[in-house]
Amino acid sequence: MLVAGPLAPERTPDTTVDEVHDLDRPWVTVVWNDPVNLMTYVTFVLQELFGYDEPTATKLMLQVHHEGKAIVSSGPRERMEHDTSRLHAYGLWASYQRDS
Amino acid sequence: MKPFRARGGDVVARLDPAEAGILGLLLDQLDQLLAADDADVAGDPVLARLFPEGHRGDPELAADYRELTESSLRSGKADDLATTRATLPPDGGEVRLDADQAGSWLRTTNDLRLALGTRLDVSEDTEPPDEMTGERDQQLAVYYWLTAMQGSLVDALVDARAGRR
Repeated sequence: MLVAGPLAPERTPDTTVDEVHDLDRPWVTVVWNDPVNLMTYVTFVLQELFGYDEPTATKLMLQVHHEGKAIVSSGPRERMEHDTSRLHAYGLWASYQRDS
Repeated sequence: MKPFRARGGDVVARLDPAEAGILGLLLDQLDQLLAADDADVAGDPVLARLFPEGHRGDPELAADYRELTESSLRSGKADDLATTRATLPPDGGEVRLDADQAGSWLRTTNDLRLALGTRLDVSEDTEPPDEMTGERDQQLAVYYWLTAMQGSLVDALVDARAGRR
């Protein structure tokens, strides 16, 4: 069972700019919307790979669906490469990038 | 088809002989696709979808990612395909899968849907064909059959997971 990383989109209001640019966490993994993957499948995969509970995974899936993309994990570059490849193994349309 | 259902720790479905035959043919085609050279990936939209760029906008990072991950992605897909083939009754009948086998079916049927969906240029507005008037309609019908099967497999796995708690 994989341990979930902190959910990047849910920053607490008192997060400072310095913390956002923390050098330990400057990369994110993004899932992009695509017309083939089933909504239930995307939710299932996010739970399976990141250990998210069902409401969190559903929220991220809906964000992908409605906004075109969602950040599903954040951390060092090597781990984001790894997360991206795990998502690619399930056919999700994912990429990693420096957090903006 | 009798859709997938959770039963004990397994998931179970039943396929008609014709459905098992079509799935077998699709597996053969995916097998050939996965055996294609690395150089083909960039030129083929289906391969580009099965092996996406890891980084957008930075060709160097994208190339690094491909070098780092593509062979394991490829062998993972080939292993999933082999498991799916080994657990598919060639003449139809019951499909019974444990959790690992179900994971292979999930990923392989998704690859088949991605491949077909990309070839057929499926969008979020695409609808199942009302009648079969050509080859595209038949392929779309197969795509939607795969969608129904994979959807039932996801639901069954969610049920099985709830049952384990």
